[in-house]
Amino acid sequence: MNQEISEIYTEEFFVNMGPQHPSTHGVLRLLLKMDGEVVLDMVPHIGYLHRSLEKIAENRTYLQYIPYTDRIDYSCSMFCNQGFVMTVEKLANVPVPERAEYIRVIMVELNRIASHLIWLGTFSLDLGAITPFLYCFREREKVLDLFEMTCGQRLTYNYMRIGGVSRDITPEFIPMAKEFVKYFIPRVDEYEDILTNNPIFLSRTKGVGILDQKTAIDNGVTGPSLRGTGLKWDLRKNEPYSIYDKFNFDIPTGKASDVWDRYMVRIKEMRESAKIVQQALEKIPEGPIKTKTAAVFKPPEGEIYLRIEAPRGEMGFYMVSDGSPKPYRVKIRTGSFSNLTVLPIISRGWKIADLVAIFGSLDVVLPEVDR
Amino acid sequence: MNPEEIKRIVSDRFPDKLKDARIIGFEPSFIADKSILLEFCRFLKETKELSFDLLSCMSGADYPDRFEMIYIFFSFTHKHKMSFKVHLSKENPEIDSLTFLFPGANWYEREIAELYGIKFKNHPDPRPLLLPEGWDEGYPLRKDWTGKDFIKMPDLK
Repeated sequence: MNQEISEIYTEEFFVNMGPQHPSTHGVLRLLLKMDGEVVLDMVPHIGYLHRSLEKIAENRTYLQYIPYTDRIDYSCSMFCNQGFVMTVEKLANVPVPERAEYIRVIMVELNRIASHLIWLGTFSLDLGAITPFLYCFREREKVLDLFEMTCGQRLTYNYMRIGGVSRDITPEFIPMAKEFVKYFIPRVDEYEDILTNNPIFLSRTKGVGILDQKTAIDNGVTGPSLRGTGLKWDLRKNEPYSIYDKFNFDIPTGKASDVWDRYMVRIKEMRESAKIVQQALEKIPEGPIKTKTAAVFKPPEGEIYLRIEAPRGEMGFYMVSDGSPKPYRVKIRTGSFSNLTVLPIISRGWKIADLVAIFGSLDVVLPEVDR
Repeated sequence: MNPEEIKRIVSDRFPDKLKDARIIGFEPSFIADKSILLEFCRFLKETKELSFDLLSCMSGADYPDRFEMIYIFFSFTHKHKMSFKVHLSKENPEIDSLTFLFPGANWYEREIAELYGIKFKNHPDPRPLLLPEGWDEGYPLRKDWTGKDFIKMPDLK
């Protein structure tokens, strides 16, 4: 008997999590070094969804590239559209009519709500709560209906153009959007009723995966994950672009920088976005929706870096123009790419089930990482 | 701090090693000499008045006569920004790694190394990042690259 016990030993072992793991939301492989159920170290392997969008950009005209930007991050295509066209507009000094700016803000904020809803649904699903997933997709459907009404697409919108947007909103859009906002704000309370003070949810999220502010900044983490550490930083407020300075909204922040704080920041952000949409719908002026640009659009020579606040952090476009109809170089900086780099640091020492919660709380979308 | 002041502090410290460049939106911008890269970045990060703590973006670019590295910096402490570029030779594109100063540079450098073939000295983890395993078709983001399935679109006038 004693001899048998002495033969039992433990050792570290490696586990592949992914590429097709349901909680990785895309195709990500995590090579985990485990001690029993505890994660000792990990190496993320990315690149399964690499479509070389930066190389394609050099081979397309500016207008032709707009549909490709939809595919940078399919859950917030409007932001990718907006980031790209704003960069080109600033480079070429193309003015944007006020109505177009309002339409853009309404669209991107609705898209932020939709994107956070996907996140909330799948995040709670990862933690074992199925009901919020159904609720979230019920509301997201209404946002997608609004998009479909405007541009005919439900996922890859291809809606914005250099100097404006591709088509005007329909007369039914404004009442329907107002109704949506009125309907949506109480729904957020509904999600909170199910999750925020739920003991199971709290024990899975409170104090888990703490990301301190210095690590976050050193690794280039931005967006809600950075605000979860208590830093009040939002490009919409701190470096207002488009017409964000005309709206009244708060920047939610966390304190403990754990999974629960990152969850709370996004929940509050949905309310703030709904507030922005509401104000924009009240104030939207009449007028043209697009500045006329040349058929073969050629921006002047120059270099530019422009960043916007996307749902997953700072989305930046570095663009070089040589004066020809095609960009010379486009570099796409996305929030998820940098946010994923902290995953090995903050999940060390946690159990594999907590790893799912931590990864979910960073809201990484893989096509955005691989581009 | 406004762009002129940043420019003055930086040019006082590195008088002949910096030239002017222009990256719209992230002024001041410079072209820095390759030899001072580490010293320069440490200066940007550790000087109290500058404290650039976020390496916002890092990119490579391929020009007919040179490679370029582009660094975009931002400071959460002072809410100011700057950018600079470094020129690299075509024959031997090699530059110091910034990973130990800015851990966020790690993946950016791996990506650039893989897509442009720029070597990063002292990089802690120089494995490829994005391309398929066993990729042997060269460096795709170089302008002279042609792959099996790569079709160049016609030029517009």
